[in-house]
Amino acid sequence: MGDKHISSQFDAELNSISTHVLEMGGLVESQLHQAVYSLIHLSSETARQVLDNESRLNRMEVDIDHEIISTIGRRQPTARDLRFLMAIANTTRDLERAGDEIARMARMVLSIIESGSPRSLPSYELRMASEMAAGQLRKSLDAFARLDTSVAVAILKEDDALDNEYNGFLRKLITYMMGDPRMISPSLDLLFLAKAIERVGDHAKNIAEQIIFIVKGEDVRHTPMAKVESVAQ
Amino acid sequence: MIDAPEAPAETAAQAPAASRNALEIRNLNFFYGNFQGLKEVSLDIVERKVTAFIGPSGCGKSTLLRTLNRMYSLYPGQRAEGQINFYGQDILDPGQDLNLLRARIGMVFQKPTPFPMTIYDNIAFGVRLYENLSRSDMDDRVEWALSKAALWNEVKDKLGQNGMSLSGGQQQRLCIARSVAVKPSVLLLDEPTSALDPISTGKVEELVHELKNDYTIAIVTHNMQQAARCSDYTAYMYLGELIEYGQTQQIFFKPKRTETEDYITGRFG
Repeated sequence: MGDKHISSQFDAELNSISTHVLEMGGLVESQLHQAVYSLIHLSSETARQVLDNESRLNRMEVDIDHEIISTIGRRQPTARDLRFLMAIANTTRDLERAGDEIARMARMVLSIIESGSPRSLPSYELRMASEMAAGQLRKSLDAFARLDTSVAVAILKEDDALDNEYNGFLRKLITYMMGDPRMISPSLDLLFLAKAIERVGDHAKNIAEQIIFIVKGEDVRHTPMAKVESVAQ
Repeated sequence: MIDAPEAPAETAAQAPAASRNALEIRNLNFFYGNFQGLKEVSLDIVERKVTAFIGPSGCGKSTLLRTLNRMYSLYPGQRAEGQINFYGQDILDPGQDLNLLRARIGMVFQKPTPFPMTIYDNIAFGVRLYENLSRSDMDDRVEWALSKAALWNEVKDKLGQNGMSLSGGQQQRLCIARSVAVKPSVLLLDEPTSALDPISTGKVEELVHELKNDYTIAIVTHNMQQAARCSDYTAYMYLGELIEYGQTQQIFFKPKRTETEDYITGRFG
């Protein structure tokens, strides 16, 4: 958070919160990689690991919330300190929800494996979308660590590409289902999985909006892109 | 929502057009002998709003408050230059009747300063200087002023007791009642709660909120949270200069100047 407070303990509290958010972000990233791996390699073992780790994310969110409440209560933060803490509260919420989506991916992978004929599904087509979502998430966490609004704007702009990828996949999946109606049930699992990937990208986008909020003090949620860009400059 | 005043510190910080200004300060310079305590300060104080002045010790905020009712004129060697327009008259005009001015612009100080007389007379004393009221009218005025200061219920049965016998918080509210009793239009509060405990502070802050329905209030405070809680506008001063002035909500959430942000977030400047 840049230059120091007169109270070094206040700095220590803010740094500790930042570190914990980045740790949480790191865990969400690795969860996403694991979930994508389990999909591509049809690994039920990896999918189960993802599900086991989800509770850690929930715990982290609660712990960070407690730290935020404690700091607000004791320090009465103002201006960018206040914005920072509010943004962290929103960011951890997004990370936790991204974690839920990733757990959903893992559950769908298990369901697809259990359906019996997973290898004929067009799972591989989701690789591109998964990489895009992972990239968005990584960039949002990097931008958060460096409070970089230009990267944040780039993330917001790229979200459309991920949405397009999802829509393209949806069309392919519909064609696939029409070709083989017996595969409709596992295909729906794959559809939910694709939706979960797209939602992870949405959460990365929300985090990017919070970065602009911290640095510029402008709430850019639900704001047209042109306005966001002029605010973030 | 009205827009926050946008003007930079060097020009007059304009208040929103819809509201009326009680005080318009222009290019105010203040000198303690050779030392310049205020430098080209210009800002508008909006009628029936609370304006808070914050800044580190020695920044000129109390000095500014003391120019607004010419309190400094009591001291030789202190002088002010510039203009302070108060509903059409220049406060700094040498011909200004200071007694009348101070009846219209009352002041409450950091330490409670009750007169060594009864609670009743503490209130009536000032009123007698300006008005000739009958006994029953004076009784009404005393009750009115003490009620305005949220003190009536606590003292109504002991109006004959010495004002000094009250607690610190009650003494401060007595001083506020005394200022209110002469029906001023502006109240200047110079760190009114810095000597009070949190409960008394809360009562004075609540009182400020009530009083702004009828009075324009300017408050100097070291307690930034107090400024954030009580005021509509906040001015940040540093080394005799007005650094930033705007709506309190804006100053405490998104100040425009880095210096303001460093101060209110408790950073090294």
